[in-house]
Amino acid sequence: MIRLFAAVRFTLVAAGQNFRRNLAVSMAGVFTMGLILLLVGGTLLLTHTIDGLVTQQETTSSSINIYLLGSISSRTITNYEVNFARDPRVISVGFTSEDQAVVIFKNDGLNTDNVLGVLQVNPLPPSIDLKVHKLSELSQFNSLARSLPIVDESAGKPTNYNADVIPRLEAIAAWIFGIGLVLSIVLAIISLVIIMNTIRTAVYIRRTEVEIMKLVGATDWFVRWPFILEGVFGGVLAAVFGSVIVVLGYRLLIGLADAKWLGVSYDATFLAALVAILVAVGAALGAFGSYLGVRRFLNV
Amino acid sequence: MSLAALLPPRLSQIPDPGLRPVISFHGVSKTYPNGTLALRDIDLAIYLGDFCFLVGASGAGKSTLVRLLIREEPASTGRIFVDGMETTRMPRRRLPKLRRKFGIVFQDYKLLPRLTVAQNVAFALQVTRPGQRHLKEKVEETLWIVGLEDKLNKFPDELSGGEQQRVAIARALVHRPRIFLADEPTGNLDPDTSWGIVQLLLQINHRGTTVVMATHNREIVDLVRRRVIAIESGRVVRDEIEGQYLREGEATI
Repeated sequence: MIRLFAAVRFTLVAAGQNFRRNLAVSMAGVFTMGLILLLVGGTLLLTHTIDGLVTQQETTSSSINIYLLGSISSRTITNYEVNFARDPRVISVGFTSEDQAVVIFKNDGLNTDNVLGVLQVNPLPPSIDLKVHKLSELSQFNSLARSLPIVDESAGKPTNYNADVIPRLEAIAAWIFGIGLVLSIVLAIISLVIIMNTIRTAVYIRRTEVEIMKLVGATDWFVRWPFILEGVFGGVLAAVFGSVIVVLGYRLLIGLADAKWLGVSYDATFLAALVAILVAVGAALGAFGSYLGVRRFLNV
Repeated sequence: MSLAALLPPRLSQIPDPGLRPVISFHGVSKTYPNGTLALRDIDLAIYLGDFCFLVGASGAGKSTLVRLLIREEPASTGRIFVDGMETTRMPRRRLPKLRRKFGIVFQDYKLLPRLTVAQNVAFALQVTRPGQRHLKEKVEETLWIVGLEDKLNKFPDELSGGEQQRVAIARALVHRPRIFLADEPTGNLDPDTSWGIVQLLLQINHRGTTVVMATHNREIVDLVRRRVIAIESGRVVRDEIEGQYLREGEATI
């Protein structure tokens, strides 16, 4: 116990000394790594925000209106409604009558009176409106609808399904995620190299000390710990630096976005998780970079 | 009065054949990656309580032999035993245990300039035995042995070369090693100071520690009259027990 305490104290003191003596290089390393973590954090945050937008879009898009022939009896319609409601893929089933369709059409802000006046009849069909869990299942309902005898095919389009929009949204989300992932990995590797070089300089400054430690029979881990701790300290400091800027930047951007065009909201839970992730990643990169940085010097 | 009379009495110079050597080399060769053949087929046994000189010109292989002993370098062929442990095939993680058997000093002292004399000596214990009890007493006692009990709080650059080497000796001694290795310890010192350092090594030997000193200071070797192992081009060319190293008419004093 006393030995452990003494070893921990030695490690802490040595790590602190390393950091101070190597201050210029250490700070340069911390700032560069801070910037990198800032980029990683920013990318993650951007991915998350866009992902949120896509999800939001998906939820509003995950519905399909199946247009019906005007001649179908309400009993038949109810039968179909019940059948649809039993389908586990379906969240809810609704029905829009011809008159309601007109109301919705009017609510969309178009001048319907002229159109309807010219036509003399109501051209809008009644519809069964399905809300489904998954965006990808809409196409299945689209083909199903086409096979039903109750469907109005006169307009050539028995549903309001838009085959283009949805895969495009999904593709955008996947791309953003992919780019964010690749960018984060590349940046993580760069910061690993930076930490490695910072620690190499630190070890170089203390090379006599390391040499003596090895010669008198200190274990590899005893030599290594102060440098690893220094790396972790630098990594955490860099993460804090990066996080502060990410949080401030996020607040600023959300303020702007909210006021101007998008309905993105300030996600405090994600932000807290993000800061935790950045600190953990900073510490891990610091530790691993130090481990690699000090390795070469241990072969005495 | 002859200088030899000033020397401390010896323990056992002529090895007892029943004794197990504390260091032994069996057919050891060392080739460096660049192809240099530094040691060829070395057979050697050093017994507990020995004091022996390792002599030879620069580049003869003395330093390689020292490096092989503490496994700073692995041997290319052959086997080396230190205090019953075979070091040639020892895994890395066991090297600290091997190195703790040695006390090592070099020509260039290798002191830490930011630490005081006492801190330099304590450092060796702190990094190998953290939490060592009676650290201060052990350090002070060791500094007393090397005659620096009044310089505890000085920094290395406030000391003379001889004093700095004494601090290095104290640091190598503080954990009570089995074997004391000195690689050209007097290389940077004037003759009087060198003689003081050798006296100190003899004292250490007298306390029972095996001492191996690599040197090319012929004067000291002649004066001390202990076992001499001479190396030339990587081979042991002479291994003579006390005094025989001096041939007729070669006395240097």
